[in-house]
Amino acid sequence: MKKFCTPIEHVSRRAFLKGTFGTVTGGLLMNWGGLWHAAENVKNERKHCILLWMNGGVSQFETFDMKPGRPTGGLFRPIQTNVTGIQICELMPNIARQMDKLAVIRSMHTSQIDHPGGIHLMHTGYAATANIRYPEIGAIMAKYLGKEESDLPDFIKISSQGNSGAGYLGPKYQPFNLDHSGNLPPFSLSRLDPQDELRRHELRQFVEGEFAKKHKVETARMHQEAYEGVRRLQRAKAVFDIEDEWEKYRDRYGDSKFGKRCLLARRLIESGVAFVEVGQSSYDTHADNFTGHKGLLPPMEQAWAALLVDLEERGLLQSTLVVWMGEIGRTPRINNRSGRDHYVRAWSTALAGAGIKGGQVYGATDKDGIDVKDNPVTEGDFFATIYKAVGINPKKEHYQGIRPIPIAPFGSKVVDELLRS
Amino acid sequence: MRIPTCLFTAVLSVLFAAVSSGADVALRDVIDQEIRSVWQHEELTPPGPADDAAFLRRVYLDLIGIIPSYEETLAFLNDQTKDKRARLIDRLLAHPRFGVHQADVWDLVLFGRIPASNEARTRDGFKRWLVQQFNDNVPYDQWARAILKAEGNTVDQGAPMYLVQYERNPEAATIAITQTFLGVQLQCAQCHDHPFDHWKQTDFYGMAAFLVRLRAVSVGKKGRETKWVVAEHSSGEIMFTGPAADQEPGKKGKPIPPRFLDGSELVEPPLPKDFKEPRNFPSGKMPPKPRFSRKNKLAEWITARDNPYFAKAVANRIWGQFFGRGLVHPVDNLSQNNPSPFSGLLQKTADALRKHNFDLKWYIRELCNTQTYQLACAGPVTEAKPRWFERARVRPLSAEELLESWRLATGYDNVARRAGKKQPDGRFYGVTWGYMLRFFGQPDNGVGDFQGGLSEHLYLNNGELSQLITRESGGLYDAILKSTDPWSKRVERLFLSILNRYPTPAEQKKFVSFLTADDRQSDRLADAIWVLMTCSEFRFNH
Repeated sequence: MKKFCTPIEHVSRRAFLKGTFGTVTGGLLMNWGGLWHAAENVKNERKHCILLWMNGGVSQFETFDMKPGRPTGGLFRPIQTNVTGIQICELMPNIARQMDKLAVIRSMHTSQIDHPGGIHLMHTGYAATANIRYPEIGAIMAKYLGKEESDLPDFIKISSQGNSGAGYLGPKYQPFNLDHSGNLPPFSLSRLDPQDELRRHELRQFVEGEFAKKHKVETARMHQEAYEGVRRLQRAKAVFDIEDEWEKYRDRYGDSKFGKRCLLARRLIESGVAFVEVGQSSYDTHADNFTGHKGLLPPMEQAWAALLVDLEERGLLQSTLVVWMGEIGRTPRINNRSGRDHYVRAWSTALAGAGIKGGQVYGATDKDGIDVKDNPVTEGDFFATIYKAVGINPKKEHYQGIRPIPIAPFGSKVVDELLRS
Repeated sequence: MRIPTCLFTAVLSVLFAAVSSGADVALRDVIDQEIRSVWQHEELTPPGPADDAAFLRRVYLDLIGIIPSYEETLAFLNDQTKDKRARLIDRLLAHPRFGVHQADVWDLVLFGRIPASNEARTRDGFKRWLVQQFNDNVPYDQWARAILKAEGNTVDQGAPMYLVQYERNPEAATIAITQTFLGVQLQCAQCHDHPFDHWKQTDFYGMAAFLVRLRAVSVGKKGRETKWVVAEHSSGEIMFTGPAADQEPGKKGKPIPPRFLDGSELVEPPLPKDFKEPRNFPSGKMPPKPRFSRKNKLAEWITARDNPYFAKAVANRIWGQFFGRGLVHPVDNLSQNNPSPFSGLLQKTADALRKHNFDLKWYIRELCNTQTYQLACAGPVTEAKPRWFERARVRPLSAEELLESWRLATGYDNVARRAGKKQPDGRFYGVTWGYMLRFFGQPDNGVGDFQGGLSEHLYLNNGELSQLITRESGGLYDAILKSTDPWSKRVERLFLSILNRYPTPAEQKKFVSFLTADDRQSDRLADAIWVLMTCSEFRFNH
């Protein structure tokens, strides 16, 4: 494919900044925001991933696997989507109009039924064990899709769960956690006057330089690179402040906290971040399942649909995989508190964007949604498919001591039908 | 080029054999000779010995887990006697902090930052006990046996905590015990016969059978600590159902009798016919002893003098602690499928350690007195842990070492002492210990694999370090600012206090001009201290 590029693409961003703004000592002034943004606005073939995490376990019956007229069907009605023959829940009218982008899996069949176990499982692809700390999907994506000299961390979570972090991949791939309003983690902000910081930085650079003359060791280099990464982050922090853009996008994403998080996720992806996880609580509707979903789904699905459209308009959807899931599904049986309990025998997830063939439903459950009827997808198959979609070999092995651990569990199958060939 | 080298090595090894067959060659000399011959074979030219300052900081951190003070640094650098390094090593081995630091290292080996179960999250009793073992120089086989026999409770005795964390988890216990105490990697054989080692699944379950009857029982409290004891049933078997790939729901499996890794089966007396197993051990009550303890038999077999793995595993692990990598690496994989050019040397060190009745202070003294340990950290090699030990290794300071060293450097504790303030309980105050663990808690594997991460620098740049750079009387900051010495002298003191060495002329010049550039000396001084506390030279032991 022929590509047109602006001159700026031919100059590495750092070289560009250094050439323009470097001082005599090689230090950089901080807090001049804005400028980096234009430079980073380069579309490339590097893949990204956004995980929309429905914490507590969203119900498949109130979203993608409707059973109208059945005892397990619940209160809501199905509506037509923009793909002929596919119906989803009436609580998701915006998503219904983006169905052509989505691949829905109605045949999830997983192994962990409680929250901590499910959260671990659906963040890593593995059940938790005492001896091995598995990395989350975000850490794997950061390792394989991230770039070394980025201004921003490559594994960012906004108000989300996940209990294993980088696991055996180590501190380099730990998540950078933003809170429910998108605020930065503790100690992210420098309180120093920029001039003072620059002065201190120069002295530190001198000391590091003297050490490096005598010690050529790689660990000192890595330590110094991470320090420089933090200074770049200070420069890039404007990306986390969405207020200027929020005015313009509020109506599209919906005036909700989840909407803001999704807009922030789009900005981060646009700025080159490899992986962003956006969380929404709390779907654990053991009681009042229907009121619960009626409250939670509309703001979520509006923001999700807006995110897909926004990414598409910016040409980022083809390089950004958007995953939607919770840690478990919910029971077909409606309990005596109008609730649905935990269920992992048959439930639903959805994928869109990079590598995904949209406009389809994969797998099916029986007439009451009790068991998977066609094409079961295990957690391992699901993760193998996700990794394949962004170009990561799911069979690649990491070593824990002497033990090889594949990225997706041994024996997992990529579901090729979900992928664009 | 190669042939003469080989010849030379051959001659050397003949010479060496002659030397080592002599009765009383010190282990330190055996090590240096053998390592040197490998260098010659590999055509390596290591740097010379570390200078006094580099050696001083290295050995303080390695033996007692903290940098030397300003006064200790000056005293050592000014000492003109020839044997000052050996005497310093002896002094540090006798230091009460020796046990404290070694216990920090081994506690992480045994529990990690996140232990296998919540019961072991706080384990003050275990740590107190472990400090004591090192400071009393209890032979390693004895205290390892105490850990595995787990007698008494976790508060008054301490040792049982290791097994408490593996309660009702014989598989995890099997993996951890064989790896830690024997350098054997059995974990693959949990689910299938080992693909490239000779271990079978039945070897794994034969070992797990020793541990399947263990339970943790709480028998009371002392202050805020819960007293746990390890109870053992007299019956109960581990069930083996074949390879994991062939598992089906509801498959029962067959019991596997306890069998040691060398293939010998445990001979067990039969239970009396009328024996009735208690269903559980009620908490609050001391559980009865089992009729026959499988666990104790395992502990005795593991720690026996003639166990083929035990001495090598500990000799190799401690070697790794001081040299960055094991003679066989990783330190806990002594498999025949993991060959090493140093396996002969490991055998010799292990034999010597056994001959010295597992006297760890003796062993550590020998290691620290080698020329190999005392090499400079210089040269073209960029690896943090040089493969041929041809340069000192570089390891990150642990969270414990960092915080206590920072406080010592800035005089934080001095200030409090002078003001008559009571120190907070424990060792980890001054900043939030939870943050220290979060940002500096890894690696916890005892050899120190460093990985850069943004978050540690966010903390260093914008976090709580300013709390440690105390400006009160008795601290470094105050001493420098109030001093009437010329600034060049004051910069010397800064370097000696924080990096434990004199500044180079270039550093002296740079710092003097930084500190005297304007009238904001007080801010500049805090910046200069911060720079020395956060730079790579401080962050690592080299």
